Amino acid sequence: MIEIKNLSKIYSKSNHKVVALKNINLSIAKGDIYGIIGLSGAGKSSLIRCINRLEEPTDGDIWINGVNIVKLENKELRTARKNISMIFQNFNLFSSKTVFENIAFPLRLIKTPNSIIKEKVNELLKLVELTDKANVYPAQLSGGQKQRVGIARSLASDPDVLLCDEATSALDPKTTKQILSLLKNINEKLGLTIVIITHEMEVIKEICNRVAILEDGCIVEEGPTLDVFTSPESYVTRNLINQDQLLPNEYLKGKVLTLSFTEKSVGEPIISRIVKKFNVEINILYGKIEYIQHKPIGKLTVQINVNDDVLKNIILFSEKNHVQVEVLNQ
Amino acid sequence: MSHLIELLYPSMLETLYMVFVSVFFTILLGLPLGIILVITDKNHIVPIPWLNNILSYIINITRSLPFLILMIFIIPFTRLIVGTTIGTTAAIIPLIIAATPFFARVVETSIKEVDWGVVEASISMGATPIQIILKVLIPEVLPSLVLGITITIINILGYSAMAGVVGGGGLGDLAIRYGYHRFQKDVMIATVILLVILVQLIQSTGNKIAQIINKK
Repeated sequence: MIEIKNLSKIYSKSNHKVVALKNINLSIAKGDIYGIIGLSGAGKSSLIRCINRLEEPTDGDIWINGVNIVKLENKELRTARKNISMIFQNFNLFSSKTVFENIAFPLRLIKTPNSIIKEKVNELLKLVELTDKANVYPAQLSGGQKQRVGIARSLASDPDVLLCDEATSALDPKTTKQILSLLKNINEKLGLTIVIITHEMEVIKEICNRVAILEDGCIVEEGPTLDVFTSPESYVTRNLINQDQLLPNEYLKGKVLTLSFTEKSVGEPIISRIVKKFNVEINILYGKIEYIQHKPIGKLTVQINVNDDVLKNIILFSEKNHVQVEVLNQ
Repeated sequence: MSHLIELLYPSMLETLYMVFVSVFFTILLGLPLGIILVITDKNHIVPIPWLNNILSYIINITRSLPFLILMIFIIPFTRLIVGTTIGTTAAIIPLIIAATPFFARVVETSIKEVDWGVVEASISMGATPIQIILKVLIPEVLPSLVLGITITIINILGYSAMAGVVGGGGLGDLAIRYGYHRFQKDVMIATVILLVILVQLIQSTGNKIAQIINKK
């Protein structure tokens, strides 16, 4: 569906160059909800904006449905763009047009007859649950409603791809969830391929089936979301995932381990087995279970006072039972 | 009183004629000029930096000339266009030439208010530059454009007071000939009152329209 090959983006400003993207290779399949996550300045915005050429790539190719977007001339590019919609962090709605006319805009561009516009826009208003707001201006809407108008507008031209440029970053957590479930719903209903860039791990966990982690213009890790979460390979990824469970130093005494439970082990009483088998005392410092793509991942940070040999055996025992162990403090 | 009305009425018609025709052509020329000034910028939708520089330069030159000097300076050009250099119609040409660059800058400032994100959204939907201008840029800043037009009308009304220099007539000319040269204070005062009322009317109408069409 989308093949990004050796993509580079370099910004040249008078006497110095800023490399935003280095040799990016990505493959996004039809129907994917593909997340690209990274901290600010990692290059994720440049990456998504290269896909519809709001930014001109410096080098490389981007194939969408067998067409190399990078090679297209103005007119062909405009046609191709009708197939690649985009929603934005700041919604970018037309303040002078009603909700109805905002959604109708892509259709007016291609001179669609009024009767068809009416039918199509009403259908989209229903999809995003804003039928009662058709004649209201964007200034009268809440953030979440504005983004729903943005989504409806992006769907008007029946695109194959939807690019989301930090689409939920300006919204509160509850509204974010609503928007994400709307995107998921659209993805399932219309078979739309969605590319999301974000700095929020929650967004990736909630809806992305695949994820790429971007740092300093390079992809440091890529794969199915669940795999990346359960066994992160790079330091950057681990950092992004563990953002919320940094323990204060005063608790890092003795031997501190983080146990990661996957689907296979999350229902098992592993801790109690360890206690019985090795006759040790375990102090639980932190724990949570989260759901990634509706699959549970449990994290437990514990403190055990044992010698190194027993610790080694505990780790072996845990891993045999599908629990991964990371030693935080020896 | 009746002789005042006899004096004021034809002068007022001359003023309205000059202002109306000048405003019409100023908008006709200044609106596209202002839009070109914005979109040919190197970071906008139709980047043509050399054209942008030349236009900006010409506008600055025209705007640095005082109206009185401009009016005399372009007399040959006026003759070329309307066939005469004196009279009300002859005064319209310098009015247009003075007001167009001013209005172009007003339009430029308004159009630049459009959030770039909104322009990008239109580009991402496959809009052509013409579609972006007509369906996005102009509608988005219409209230601000209306206020800009209001200011321009009042400006032209002010300039038109000097039209007497080329025999253009109008209220300003009347005030100078009767009120100043002939010491007829009542004509002077009546003219000033009339001009004040005109400006108030134009401004409040402009404000009202802008307020009605503003959806922000």
